Amino acid sequence: MDFTEFSKDKIVVFDGAFGTELQKRIKNAGTVPEMLNLERPEIIEQIHRSYAEAGADVISANTFGANEIKAGGRELSQKLVRAAVQIARRAAPGKFVALDVGPLGRLLEPMGSLTFEEAYDAFAHMIEDGKDADLILIETMTDLAELKAALLAAKEHSDLPVLCSMSFEKNGRTFTGCDAAAYAMTASPLADAVGANCSLGPDELLPVAEKILSYTDKPVIVQANAGLPDENAHYGVSADEFAKTYEKLIDSGVRIIGGCCGTTPEYIRKLRALADGRKPAPMPYRPRSAVCSAMKVVEIDGVRVIGERINPTGKKAMKAALLAGDYDYVAAQAVEQTEAGADILDVNAGLPELDEADVLTRIVKRVQQVSDLPLQIDCGKADAVERALRHTVGKAIVNSVNGEERVLSAMLPVVKKYGAAVVGLTIDERGLPKTTEERLQIAEKIISRAKDFGIPEEDIYIDCLTLTVSAEQGQAKETLEAIRQIKKRHRVKTVLGVSNISFGLPNRQIVNTAFLTAAIAAGLDLPILNPNVPENMQAIAAMRALSGEDKNCADYTAKFGGVTVQTSVTGGTKTREKAEEGDIFYCIRKGLPAAADRARELLKTVSPLALIDEYLIPALNAVGDDYEKGVLFLPQLISAAESAKLCFAEVKKLLKAGDSASKGEIVLATVKGDIHDIGKNIVKTVLENYGYTVIDLGKNVPPEEIAATCKRNHIKLCGLSALMTTTVPSMEETIRLLRAECPDCKIMVGGAVLNADYAKKIGADWYCKDANADVKIAQYLFEGAKEVPTLQSSR
Amino acid sequence: MEIDRTELLRYLGWRGQELDGTMLEKLDGAAKRCLGIAEPRSVMRRFALNEDLSLGETGFRLEGEDIKKHLAGCREVYLIAATIGLAAERELAKLSAVSMEQALLFDTAASCAVESYCDDICEDLENHCQRALTSRFSCGYGDFPLTAQKEICRILDTEKKIGLYADKNYLLTPRKSVTAVAGITDAPAQARAQKNCGNGCSNRCGSCGKTDCSFRKTE
Repeated sequence: MDFTEFSKDKIVVFDGAFGTELQKRIKNAGTVPEMLNLERPEIIEQIHRSYAEAGADVISANTFGANEIKAGGRELSQKLVRAAVQIARRAAPGKFVALDVGPLGRLLEPMGSLTFEEAYDAFAHMIEDGKDADLILIETMTDLAELKAALLAAKEHSDLPVLCSMSFEKNGRTFTGCDAAAYAMTASPLADAVGANCSLGPDELLPVAEKILSYTDKPVIVQANAGLPDENAHYGVSADEFAKTYEKLIDSGVRIIGGCCGTTPEYIRKLRALADGRKPAPMPYRPRSAVCSAMKVVEIDGVRVIGERINPTGKKAMKAALLAGDYDYVAAQAVEQTEAGADILDVNAGLPELDEADVLTRIVKRVQQVSDLPLQIDCGKADAVERALRHTVGKAIVNSVNGEERVLSAMLPVVKKYGAAVVGLTIDERGLPKTTEERLQIAEKIISRAKDFGIPEEDIYIDCLTLTVSAEQGQAKETLEAIRQIKKRHRVKTVLGVSNISFGLPNRQIVNTAFLTAAIAAGLDLPILNPNVPENMQAIAAMRALSGEDKNCADYTAKFGGVTVQTSVTGGTKTREKAEEGDIFYCIRKGLPAAADRARELLKTVSPLALIDEYLIPALNAVGDDYEKGVLFLPQLISAAESAKLCFAEVKKLLKAGDSASKGEIVLATVKGDIHDIGKNIVKTVLENYGYTVIDLGKNVPPEEIAATCKRNHIKLCGLSALMTTTVPSMEETIRLLRAECPDCKIMVGGAVLNADYAKKIGADWYCKDANADVKIAQYLFEGAKEVPTLQSSR
Repeated sequence: MEIDRTELLRYLGWRGQELDGTMLEKLDGAAKRCLGIAEPRSVMRRFALNEDLSLGETGFRLEGEDIKKHLAGCREVYLIAATIGLAAERELAKLSAVSMEQALLFDTAASCAVESYCDDICEDLENHCQRALTSRFSCGYGDFPLTAQKEICRILDTEKKIGLYADKNYLLTPRKSVTAVAGITDAPAQARAQKNCGNGCSNRCGSCGKTDCSFRKTE
């Protein structure tokens, strides 16, 4: 009988702690305790046997830390894994053996330097090497991205059942901030059971388990610690107390039980007795319309705003940013919409010039770094959507499918595999529908085909299509009626892009606001709009108050009580209380936002390029000189650069296509292995505000990527940063590669451990002791300013 | 855990430059934001310091002449790991996308916060063992190798206990984290009021003659 069959209709018992049992038998288990699988297999076997005799159904092989990253290579990892599975088999004939998969011991990007692909490969190898087990248990995870890599590796490299489990703190979150409900929603589509283990005793895990239970349709596993350890590593909860709480866990719906740190065969004996006397309780899960990031669940039980700004269609600046690979612009848009009150962010990379799958994935990764909102992947190509979904940490919306069979059969399997929600556009091969009835027919086809793939109505969001009212006046009514009808007949949600309605009309926002309000009244759940437009968010706040969703109008009052209401006309640029004093030089030096006002005034009489050369650069030079002399300190230098940035934004508004204010292109990167990038970011800010175009490759950047970018763009100057002695070799390697690939590119380096001698030794042209030194070098290279002798020329 | 304004300024490389109200507000704002978001967690263990500078029965030996000097006369040490968590990292990523000035101030405030948190830990430990501790000595100080970072994390089980990792290159993640060794001396624990300005001056601030020092710490 296989494990899936076995576990039906019964409470399944796993074994208890391994590590703490091992410590009783051996004092110092060394760096990789799994080495004992080869060196002292009899001890491992003894522990397994004790749990088998106590009545465990499943024995977890001693493979928790046997992955290739912790073991230091695939070869050893493979030996350890294979030996472990054999030992467990030998120790417990007739029991199920689980391949125990723990964290890799390194943090994934963006917070750490391990890439998703590296993590996936390490898990995949381990899972292949452990193929002789009966099931896979991925446990003690704290990072949802790492768990997702492990789950995908397991699903794509094995047919064994996959159970997963994360570790939570008392606040119901993991160390990385992952929320228990978000975890359950994200992991359930990819796992055969989900749950929690380690870190807490059973009492503290009970609320976590209950939360997981209400968000998963899969059986739930709980392996608690025997309480929390005291100073001498003694665990406080006795076997009897432990089993007592497990009664409550079983009552609430938990079906797979076992122990973690501090538990012994005695605890498992009690759990066995408990399991034998109990039948599984009904699972409390009910389908619900909700999406999430790792940190945050957004329930679609009222109007939820999808921010539309990360989309190059019709947006000049976003288009330029994506073409240039400037993901910082994307990040800034994400932060702005998050702060403006969006609930979900739409991401779109639909430009013919772009590799959509690649760019979409990069956008997803960048946005997740700066915003905790769930994402809507806006793309019609199934392969690009799949790649983006792999990197999406959470449950996303896929935007979109339509009524065409070709589209449905390509996209729905992807939606199902990753457990996403999906937007269904009411359009098909026949083109745009004209009537409510046609819209309903297409919607129902989508709903029915989605059901064939196992996608519930709760995860389908129907888009009844906004058409331009100035061109097709009758259609607005049909759209609204279709929303009303579809909500009456199905448990689906509705979604609608709003602003198309007013295309071609003057003062479009008036029409947009009216249509948005009418659509919400008709039953629209998810308007796609610009949350930075005050009228949009005002209408939504008002409708939430009117519908009763905003209890006692509390949110409305908090937002609009005692404030002057903004409109997009008055609110387009931030209005300041009173004009601050001083000219543009003074404003920049003091880091005042009023610098932008001064720039606007000046631009009435001087040309954009003259403003840069005669005002901004001299102002920045004065600040830079004072910084060098010690009259100003670093925050003042940066603050001046930021107000100059506002002035540059004013200049850019006036530049014609083809005009360039750029004084030269510079590539910046923090080298592979290093994640400390604040110094590099400061240099970027300063250089940009001197008018240079910076291609910022970010942190932890492989030498090959840096060299390829420099080569492709014929870069004359590349800046590298490294913080630690351990990452300087990576800088040296990058310099070597750059010399070979781009002989014309000069290299400047900076970072805490570097100095001129060290920089010379690794082959750099310049050492930059601070951000101002970079500017001097750029001015020399690109503008013929005073020579800055290279380190190598003084040889 | 606190973020002292002069400490923050010292980290930012301040040398007595004129500060206006706006800058002071920004500094205080960054400190407040950081303290509001920090999730301080720590783990420490007490070990016998053997003749060969190995710790108890772990087999882990402290390497280097500098740490040997630092711990001269100590027969026991505390091994300490502390972090203010990933929430601060996320906030920093967000601020970096919006304003480098805010990012710089927040990053620096976070560095101050983790040091101050470590000060609190050491004060607690002194109270607990009733003896004075040496100052903290971390990997990378003098000739104490960075490579020890991994061993310290393993021995303290920091990954599981506080979510702290030593990376391939021995960098700590979350970045605003500290691992350190503090020797347990034979001297009785001292009151903490005897602070040092930390600016290269060996006097305790309370009894220091340089009363106009911009880094002077007051209780």
